Amino acid sequence: MTATATTPAAVTPRRPRRKPLGANPLGILFSAPYLVFVIAIFAFPLAFSVYMAFHDYFFTAPGFEADRPFVGFDNFRNVLTDPLVWRSFGNVGIFLLINVPLTVVLSLVLATALNRIVHARAFYRVAFYVPYVTASVAVVAVWLFLFNGDGLVNTLLGPLAPDPSWLVNSGLAMPTIALFVTWKGLGFYILLYLAALQAVPKELYESAQMDGAGKVRSFFSVTVPSVRPATLLVVLLSTITGANLFTEPYLLTSGGGPDGASVSPALLIYQRGIQQGTPDTAAAIGVLLVILVLVVAWLQRRFVGGEGR
Amino acid sequence: MRRRTAAVGIAVLGLGALTACGGGGSTGGPIDSRGPIDIWYSNNEQELAWGQQLVEAWNAEHPDEQITAQEIPAGRSSEEVLGAAIAAGTAPCLVFNTAPAAVGQFAKQGGLLDLAQFEGGAAYIEERSGDLAAQYATADGQYFQLPWKSNPVQIFYNRELFAEAGIDPDDPPLATYDEFLETARTIVDSGAAPYAIWPAPTSEFFQIQFDFLPLYAAETGGTPLLDGEDSTFASEEGLAVAEFWHTLYEDGLAGNEKYTGDAFADGQAAMSIVGPWAIAVYEDVDWGVAPVPTSHGMSADEIWTFSDAKNVGLYRACDHPATAWEVLKFATSVEQDGKLLELTGQMPLRRDLAETYADYFAANPDYVAFGEQAARVVEVPTSPNTVAMLQALRDAWSGSVIFGGPDADLRQALEDAAAKFDDLARQP
Amino acid sequence: MSRVQTTLRYVVLTIGAIAFLFPFYYMFIGSLQAEPDPTIAGAFPNPANLTGENYVEINERINLGIGLLNSGIFTCGVILGTVVFGALAGYALAILHWRGRGVTFALALLVQVVPFQLLMIPLYVLIARDYGLADTHLGMILPFLINSSAVIIFRQYFIGIPRDIFEAARIDGAGELRLLWNVALPLVRPALLTVVLLTFIGPWNEFLWPFLITKDEALQPLAVSLANYIANVAATASNPFGASLAGAFVLAVPAVTLFIVFQRYFTSTNLGSGVKG
Repeated sequence: MTATATTPAAVTPRRPRRKPLGANPLGILFSAPYLVFVIAIFAFPLAFSVYMAFHDYFFTAPGFEADRPFVGFDNFRNVLTDPLVWRSFGNVGIFLLINVPLTVVLSLVLATALNRIVHARAFYRVAFYVPYVTASVAVVAVWLFLFNGDGLVNTLLGPLAPDPSWLVNSGLAMPTIALFVTWKGLGFYILLYLAALQAVPKELYESAQMDGAGKVRSFFSVTVPSVRPATLLVVLLSTITGANLFTEPYLLTSGGGPDGASVSPALLIYQRGIQQGTPDTAAAIGVLLVILVLVVAWLQRRFVGGEGR
Repeated sequence: MRRRTAAVGIAVLGLGALTACGGGGSTGGPIDSRGPIDIWYSNNEQELAWGQQLVEAWNAEHPDEQITAQEIPAGRSSEEVLGAAIAAGTAPCLVFNTAPAAVGQFAKQGGLLDLAQFEGGAAYIEERSGDLAAQYATADGQYFQLPWKSNPVQIFYNRELFAEAGIDPDDPPLATYDEFLETARTIVDSGAAPYAIWPAPTSEFFQIQFDFLPLYAAETGGTPLLDGEDSTFASEEGLAVAEFWHTLYEDGLAGNEKYTGDAFADGQAAMSIVGPWAIAVYEDVDWGVAPVPTSHGMSADEIWTFSDAKNVGLYRACDHPATAWEVLKFATSVEQDGKLLELTGQMPLRRDLAETYADYFAANPDYVAFGEQAARVVEVPTSPNTVAMLQALRDAWSGSVIFGGPDADLRQALEDAAAKFDDLARQP
Repeated sequence: MSRVQTTLRYVVLTIGAIAFLFPFYYMFIGSLQAEPDPTIAGAFPNPANLTGENYVEINERINLGIGLLNSGIFTCGVILGTVVFGALAGYALAILHWRGRGVTFALALLVQVVPFQLLMIPLYVLIARDYGLADTHLGMILPFLINSSAVIIFRQYFIGIPRDIFEAARIDGAGELRLLWNVALPLVRPALLTVVLLTFIGPWNEFLWPFLITKDEALQPLAVSLANYIANVAATASNPFGASLAGAFVLAVPAVTLFIVFQRYFTSTNLGSGVKG
């Protein structure tokens, strides 16, 4: 420990040297492969997409000349006056309102329970993770079958079954998808919380117990605050994944459900950009989506996060 | 330190330079160039068999102009694969599975070559397909697709289930809307099948081709959805068709949820609305076929329907277009069309079909109805924005006819869709 | 820890486990049935209705073995790239100070925010035309090579390592690479596993990109073949629902097995002992 007493003094004079690449440029080398990858695979296509959003753009065969003029904000204007686009953003909003809180609560509760038990831990961990590792393509068929008009769920519910049934119900389609995605993703978030829970020092619980707190009190006063960074991560990741929702609307309600009830912006991007050959409109939607998510993520960091960085 | 930054910077620039130099894409060869070509065809079992014998027959005679063939998975995503391939310059010379709905888009992208620029190109197409060829040309007389085969859409009905419900399987009342609805009610009420008919109720753009379009074609005697730059379907006939389907959905006679599999083949629906390619799927069902219904009934030889055609495109990325054109003519010759008919049961888009292949139809009475229907088929518009148009129509259809409830304003929905059509038709 | 609370925990967990596992059970049972049975009784099938025929049928149309192999190659390529380069980048972001650190982290976050569908066609043009990688495994792997979520997770775990450990090792004369390999990595084993399991999902689940980039059926991962099968071919099977479920089950089994085998490495007591020593 005596060694550390001298290092603080040694650290401060480093600042004035102001190396051009930072204190430890080895960092650049370490992250170079990743950086190159990101620039090549994401930055170029993303910049290109932004470029497309401001032009009347469509892809042409190599060697074919076509007029693709700059059109300023035209594409954005078209997109913002399209009711289906608004519907898609609204749908994602509904989805997030259900999925994010449900995910946080359920995964924390299940992770806490899992952390404390002694027997059959492996079994439960596997059980919760199984949906996460299965391809959506595989599971959707079962889900469709279960939530069919005369499927198992409706048979069990009897007179309470909604009519029209779940996935073809304008009001219930998106919540059903939210339920599916929550179920499917929970395993990952449970693991995140498990890791965070295992890092909470036992001393905190012991002192809470000494202060007379019961299990429920100590959950709220010790556990929840201690895993705040993990909670922020869960909220951010599930929001981002939810905003980019594509696979589930595509598979569960091919083409966007009854009356556009389960269209998501990513699905619209796919339809407009790839099926209908208008990548400029799709890019405009994409740019708006990215901006929106960034804003929401920033807000979440402010209100939920403790130390995110 | 500076060296490191420089190193990384050079690496990034190098990568950028790499993107500029071409790797896999082709800009195509001169129009009169001959040589080996590649083709794609669908991986439908029967079409595969036809494709393979075509390639063998040609390759045997043309050692310097060999064909390499590849299957692409048929189905809804093949247009996306083609669109991407065009953009990257990796499309083959010929694709024996080009959907007419996408052709306008591909042509706008510059991905297709105009077949009329070959000597006698337009004449060949018009000679082979007769009056039907006009639907596949652009307003300027360009042919970006060769009309190849159609699957005229008709009503299949399950004779066993009909008999069970007490309907005469040899002459079921399916000609007028009223008769059809009555028959449908009888079937569902008798419990013979859960639904009378079950077209896919999902919202992909191409599904509108299998409920609205065939009946609209029949009702109007062959009017396409778009005439020049004006939509035609916000009319009394369009409304009649919409009301018919609306009744089917409202009264629980047609399923409004997606069925995984084929409802008709599984006995979940007593009828289906599809073309002759499905006969291979229905081999275990004792089926009969009838033309699609019209509001007041018409004789069978006056009824039109949707073509569900698949055509062939010649793509710009082709290095030897002249050979590709020769292959195309070979593949649509009387002999090869005959083989197509025999092996797949799908109708070559050829005029005088019944006369040219009288032997085939004599030997295969099941297909006679389709052979006759093939002369009266309607196609989707050839605009570059066709897919967007069909999507708009499908969304309106889904929202009003399928899920609109008993008070849905069908007329308004059709008019809104028509307005979008007109808009899109006027965009370049 | 009272008995009531323990029992309550087990009850909650068991209900959860049933809710999570039931669809799989149903998938398994459904794949073994000769005729689909949509009633509740279908969940507890009649032994007379059981058959392995569905597996045979779907294997005839799409070679399940080759599909699995391709899925495996695709996924392993991605996991390898992510673990190697992602750990390096995460370490650099967490521990080292260098110019551009903030920008790189911001990029890693941004990458996750952007939907893949937006980038699909420009990426296709880049990879198929400019790099000439259509119909190759590399072309399939490339857009997914380094998972940015993994980079962030690595960074998170590396930040959690107390600095004293590094100082102690630095004083002993260890260079950065030694530090990473001998000190940091062993401490974040749970991170490695979390990353592997997280990164596994993307390529295993992905059916759009490989479909676009490969036309050759011999190269397509099972997720793609299955998606195509369900959409187009299933109708021709004698029990389309059962055949689809059979394919789905085959796709699910390796993933689940893998997790069962590796989940025991998930305790993070190593981290705690590193500090106390």
